[in-house]
Amino acid sequence: MAEPSSADFVVIGSGIIGALTARKLVLAGASVLILEAGPRVTRGELTARFRNSPRRGDWMSPYPPVPWAPHPIYLPKDNGYLVQAGPYPYAAEYIRQVGGTTWHWAAHAWRNVPNDFRIKTLYGVGVDWPIDYDDLEPWYQEAEEIMGVSGAPDTGSPRKKPFPMEPVAEPYAMRRIRERCASAYPVVTNTTARNSRTYDGRPACCGNNSCQPICPIDAQYHGGVAIASAEKAGAKLLTNANVYKLEHDAQGRITAAQYYDSDKRSHRVTGKTFIVAANGIESPRLLLLSASDKYPRGLANSSDMVGRNLMDHPSTSLTFDADEDMWLGRGPQSPSSINTLRDGAFRSEHAPYRLDFTNISRVNGAITALIAGGVYGPEIEKRLRYACARELNVKNVLEVLPDPEHRITLADEKDAMGIPKPQAHYAIDDYTRKGAERSKEDFRRIASLLGGTNLRFSKEGDYANNQHICGTLSFGSDPHKFVCDPWGRTHDHENLFCVGTGVLPTCGTCNSTENGLAIALRTASHILDQAGTRPAGTPAPSPGAGK
Amino acid sequence: MTRPHRRPAIAAIVVLAASCATAQTTTSAPGTETIKRGEYLAVAGDCVACHTLPGGRPYAGGLVVPTPMGDIVATNITPSKTAGIGNYTEQQFSDAVRKGVAADGGHLYPAMPYTSYAKITDDDIAALYAYFMHGVDSVDVRTTPAHLAFPFNMRWLMAIWNVMFLDTHPFQPVAGQSAEWNRGAYLTEALEHCSVCHSPRNLLFAESTSKRLAGGKVGPWDAPNITSDPNSGIGGWTNAELVAYLKHGDAHGKAQAAGSMAEAIDYSLRHLTDADLRAIVTYVKTVPAVHDAADTRPRFDWGGPSNELAAIRAVAWPANQAQLTGPQLYDAWCATCHQDNAQGSFDREMPPLYHNTALGNPESNNLVLVMLDGIHRRGDTVLPMPGFAQDMTDHQLATLGAWLVVRYGNPAAKVTDAQITNLRQGGSPSHLVPVVQVAIGVGAVIAVAIIALLLRRRMH
Repeated sequence: MAEPSSADFVVIGSGIIGALTARKLVLAGASVLILEAGPRVTRGELTARFRNSPRRGDWMSPYPPVPWAPHPIYLPKDNGYLVQAGPYPYAAEYIRQVGGTTWHWAAHAWRNVPNDFRIKTLYGVGVDWPIDYDDLEPWYQEAEEIMGVSGAPDTGSPRKKPFPMEPVAEPYAMRRIRERCASAYPVVTNTTARNSRTYDGRPACCGNNSCQPICPIDAQYHGGVAIASAEKAGAKLLTNANVYKLEHDAQGRITAAQYYDSDKRSHRVTGKTFIVAANGIESPRLLLLSASDKYPRGLANSSDMVGRNLMDHPSTSLTFDADEDMWLGRGPQSPSSINTLRDGAFRSEHAPYRLDFTNISRVNGAITALIAGGVYGPEIEKRLRYACARELNVKNVLEVLPDPEHRITLADEKDAMGIPKPQAHYAIDDYTRKGAERSKEDFRRIASLLGGTNLRFSKEGDYANNQHICGTLSFGSDPHKFVCDPWGRTHDHENLFCVGTGVLPTCGTCNSTENGLAIALRTASHILDQAGTRPAGTPAPSPGAGK
Repeated sequence: MTRPHRRPAIAAIVVLAASCATAQTTTSAPGTETIKRGEYLAVAGDCVACHTLPGGRPYAGGLVVPTPMGDIVATNITPSKTAGIGNYTEQQFSDAVRKGVAADGGHLYPAMPYTSYAKITDDDIAALYAYFMHGVDSVDVRTTPAHLAFPFNMRWLMAIWNVMFLDTHPFQPVAGQSAEWNRGAYLTEALEHCSVCHSPRNLLFAESTSKRLAGGKVGPWDAPNITSDPNSGIGGWTNAELVAYLKHGDAHGKAQAAGSMAEAIDYSLRHLTDADLRAIVTYVKTVPAVHDAADTRPRFDWGGPSNELAAIRAVAWPANQAQLTGPQLYDAWCATCHQDNAQGSFDREMPPLYHNTALGNPESNNLVLVMLDGIHRRGDTVLPMPGFAQDMTDHQLATLGAWLVVRYGNPAAKVTDAQITNLRQGGSPSHLVPVVQVAIGVGAVIAVAIIALLLRRRMH
């Protein structure tokens, strides 16, 4: 079995961003080798595992990790892979399998709002991005056309070209929420990579309402589709290739990647350029693991910023019963939100946020709660029916500011392959807490507009995590403050790039995938430009830096 | 039997043709009504399906049409004088369409369905000519000619074949039948050339006259019996179901069109008027029944709702995925759309698998091809069904297919690993059939050629 051991580009990680970066490079004629720590999976087996799982609400249950490439698991009990240093637990979830974590996502494919790029200048908090909205606009569009994105026209992110398709039909419950909140809040359809029509050979959403953990028909774009398209374009994929070290030469150029296969045999692949795309935790972990005599703090880490500024989107929420039947669960899980609180002068005081309405069927949660509450007999059916018809939930998606003390480091503990586990140092700061407090007023008002009763706020001080891992490989012009330069190239190594949501220097209020993907497509285009192989007809990236 | 009868007929037509050619030179430019009628007839003839590349300019040719004799390239039939048929007289056009003879005297291969088009009336040929000369944009790009292997590269052989198999009589209404029936017969037999796919062919690839419309092959696809037999054919379909099928490719609870039938619907049938579709159905329902004793019930009458998913629920998948069972594969790949009882979706967008001709057909190729490649419809924004060629192995597809036909279809149908492997690569006709048929065909054609030459010598 002769496996490729060298390529122009070696991409580490086969998730949505690594795969689409690889695809762009291979379409321009380069040879690309993708190394994926985990195994191949098929949509069929994931669908079967979901249907066979007794834990319907545990979206990781169809994604058990393999021993040679573990990822964090918390149910039925914590597998201890992501070590928690505190003070607040960072219970990140991600998937180390071919296609990566977007196998289960809500397909939210938001752009930042323009002011997200300049919060230091405008509001005196966080940092500015090295590029602005206009720099990224063409790459947002490219990402949206690849994924098949639709959305509302008025969410604060101006566009030069239309979405490639119309939004998925608005579920009844969302229509009622929109109508009844209209006097105070514009409720709009979410910007999502979910087909409203046949697109690129994938069918339209038919409302299975299991976007997480798995869309059973591929109506939703995901990393599995991305990696298939990269392979079809000619990229080579090595699975079960868990990269644990990058080698460099005396000049600091990366020369090879070492990986373990599933039997812990070590292999080595060489390449001209290396692109780390292993997500916001595994990518910094790999750079830290690759420490050498020349780079004792790890690769790309002269700034000591690798793994720092860890951010995500914490959420608090309100569950209540509406005064009319809504019947959540028809259509996609997360169709609608309020986007008017994502920006404003208040950002100098507290976190901005989106307000997101769930449309997840209440059956699983309601029946679990009723059984746990000892309800039985005819009463259980009556109350289940009531809960499923009336229960609504709205949550905030809060911005977190970069803080170097919130970080991913290497733990003392090792995983099954003998590689140090990642360790999270995390906290929820006052900026975010104040935002959460402020959003309670919105929660109450929304409940009131919907005739809400039986208001149940999420537990005080508890923040649900949204798995939007940002900041750990931040890009910026200053090599003392940022891991990557404004193109995504590491400041320290000429032929080492990072792509992924870790590159985002601030997290804004929207799901991070599209931002990470747009930056990656811009990085790939820049790489091709430098090599003089940019495909005809594609725009040249604007430098952005220094603006 | 046919030769003595046909030769005079050809001679008569040549005479007729000569007079037509003379007449043609004096006619003025056709009116828009004629051109419009010609356009409708061209759609009814489904010319675009072969003479246009997917995404290419209409009628500019270039599509490679695989035939048992080898790959044939559809020509440019735009009015380009350099690359198309712009220099054709109406007579030359008529000869090409109805006799399979190009303007340069070269014989066409019957991949061009001139054996059916021969029945087009003179009036309609004139309208078609008007349309192709005045209603189609000229494209000055030549197509590369086909290169067939010996002996099929000898186009003159087709002259002999035509003597044997080409009936050059234009359609004549049948007295005593309704105008609707006659219209349907004309559309079915001439323009829509249904028999080209739906009639079995003999060793020389000519359509069987005794088993007309009793089922044929289109590459790997099975073109079913569409005679009026209630079990083997479409005798059990209502007229409304047949019209719905021809118009939408879907007769709910019976059949969905795929492959080249879906193509015929998309390019041609669905553009016909409802009256014409009803006429076709009226006629087809009267086509003499050809019964196959093996067909103990109609293809749409097999199977029924049943659910085997409870038995596999909460059962972990085997480590070796070659051991997955039919229900496990159904659960993973099919049940989301076709549902737990295979009953299809409540809104009828997705069909039931029982009472479905694809599964009730004892010949399982159509089912397998749909499992592999899905159902694609042209000009439609809806993907009726994705293919699973990339998702399942040959063995998994065979396991699933074999289970499906037993559970929801005709248990006589067999689905095997080898069949999937073969169809995944495009099927056997372009490989195995020629090997067999070339051997037989070459011998037969040469024998016929010798006889023809001897006869000709004797007549002189």
